[in-house]
Amino acid sequence: MSLRRRLTLSVLAILLIFSLNVGTHFWGSVARTESMTAYRQSVAAQELTTSIGLQLEEQRKQIRVLAALRDTTDDRLNEEDRKLASSNLRSVSDELKALGRMSDDVTRPQYNALWQSGTQLFPAWREFYNYYNDAGYQSPFPSPDAPALYDVVQQRLSYLKERQIFIAEQRAAIIDRTIALTDRITVIGFLASIFLTSTLGFFLVRYTSQSFNRLKIGTMRIGSGDLDYRIDSIEDSGELGELADAFNDMSGKLRNAIDEVQEAKENADQANEAKSHFLANVSHELRTPLNAIIGYSEMLFDELGDTAGIDKPQFQRDLQKIILSGRQLLSLINDILDLSKIESGKMTVHYEEFNAGQMLEEVCQTIAPLLDKQGNNLELSVNTTLPAFYNDATKFRQVFLNLLSNATKFTQAGEIKVSAEPRPGDADCVVIAISDTGIGMSAEQQHKIFDAFVQADSSTSKNYGGTGLGLAICKEYCDLMGGSITVDSEEGVGTTFEVILPVRVPVPESDHAVA
Amino acid sequence: MTTRILLVEDNEMSRDMLSRRLVRAAYEVITAADGEQAITLVRQERPDVVLLDMGLPIKDGWTTCKEIREEDAIANTPIIALTAHVMRADRDKALAAGCDDYATKPIDFPMLLEKINALSCGRVDGEGDNKGDSG
Repeated sequence: MSLRRRLTLSVLAILLIFSLNVGTHFWGSVARTESMTAYRQSVAAQELTTSIGLQLEEQRKQIRVLAALRDTTDDRLNEEDRKLASSNLRSVSDELKALGRMSDDVTRPQYNALWQSGTQLFPAWREFYNYYNDAGYQSPFPSPDAPALYDVVQQRLSYLKERQIFIAEQRAAIIDRTIALTDRITVIGFLASIFLTSTLGFFLVRYTSQSFNRLKIGTMRIGSGDLDYRIDSIEDSGELGELADAFNDMSGKLRNAIDEVQEAKENADQANEAKSHFLANVSHELRTPLNAIIGYSEMLFDELGDTAGIDKPQFQRDLQKIILSGRQLLSLINDILDLSKIESGKMTVHYEEFNAGQMLEEVCQTIAPLLDKQGNNLELSVNTTLPAFYNDATKFRQVFLNLLSNATKFTQAGEIKVSAEPRPGDADCVVIAISDTGIGMSAEQQHKIFDAFVQADSSTSKNYGGTGLGLAICKEYCDLMGGSITVDSEEGVGTTFEVILPVRVPVPESDHAVA
Repeated sequence: MTTRILLVEDNEMSRDMLSRRLVRAAYEVITAADGEQAITLVRQERPDVVLLDMGLPIKDGWTTCKEIREEDAIANTPIIALTAHVMRADRDKALAAGCDDYATKPIDFPMLLEKINALSCGRVDGEGDNKGDSG
């Protein structure tokens, strides 16, 4: 559950309890007011009932006295007294009516009974006063009926009063109960809200602080370099969970980024080391011919100062060595430039049509003087069905000149064979093999010979010349021409280089457009 | 007494050039083209100084130097390393193998002579003293 949802639910629960409390308070207040009104009304009705009872009793006494006087004396009521008596009687009657208005459903039956007996009593009393002075009037008082009617009224009055007292007591009880109930609900609600608030607060704080603590630990772990650390124990689909996910995501990306940087650094270091190694090798290779050039030059310079005269043929041979070393230095520099051009990707391929067989023949002619010097026999066999090549003719020539001069250099009075055949089962490729019966190489040497500055033996260049760059350049050129070069050799038996080249290089679209 | 130098160098041109220059500078020079041959000649000829190329066939310069140092009879032979490797690490490697000094190619000839003289003088004097004692 998300943090926001938890908070919202907590607030809602607290609000619910709060509104329950407020509702209870209002309900209690309304109920109390209602009961209080009814109670007051009840009390007022009681007072009125008591007052009516007293007045009725007064009237009855008065009527009894008057009736006794009328019977025993000749005194008669003067008009004033009669009116006063009538008025009193009317007043009681009015009060009785007022009591009727105050009597609600719960006291209505008792009141109705009272009213009924009242309507019998009052006319009799009125009649008594009206006809009091009339000699012919026979007063019903103090006949046995009249007291009976009065007693009925009084009795019903007391019933009504009892009822009113009962109702008032009930109302009072209801008020007490209402107060007690609202008090209880309020207290319970208050306690419940305190409990709920503190419990929710506790869990919310605990849960949140736990989550934040885990995030903190994670941050510290990552900060201290432990990039594989993941926060996986946050049970939250909301903000904190998302934060943890984002955090894990971040550390993952950080790990990748650092790995990439590390890899890039290692690659750069490797490249840098290779470069330093290359430079060290270049320096070493340049120093060897320079040693001869400087050494011989200084020696010849010294010899020119000798008084004994100069051995001219020896002098010429020494100069020849200086020239040879200079040329070797030049070809070395050219090779280094070629190789660095290849390695920086700046070597381009110039496509043109050429005849491979013819090209190989030319290479063989170029190498002929060296062949003769070494006493080697050359055999060239080119398949007549070879198609015309569309590739880089200059690089083709350089590769085979290099391979042939190597074969010649490392073979003494042996056989060198050059053959060019279509690749079996693949008319688009040609296999050109150059094999010799020279000194050969061990498996380990064969493994390294295509690396720059590596000759099969560190002393090879001193004995056989060469820069140690030739085969590296050959391999790069074969790759550039879309082909490959492999070596197969046995020490003391001979070496075979096999070059496989595509006849036609698949030209990219853009080149077509230009053409 | 002429200082006798053993020049160990596999490159024919370098060997020819350096040996001729040393002869011109009035040293007695014997030559070897590989490490094995060099050790044999050190044993037989007891040269005053060995000029040892490091990149030798059959047995390289570092191994050759170590083996000379390990053989009691010839262990004291002064050896100057010759190499076209000029990095500090190469120099340290040569000295660690037991070479007394180090010269880079192209050779600075006057400086090489100084180094040869510095190493051979002490040795010649020492031998002279020994002879004096025995005689």
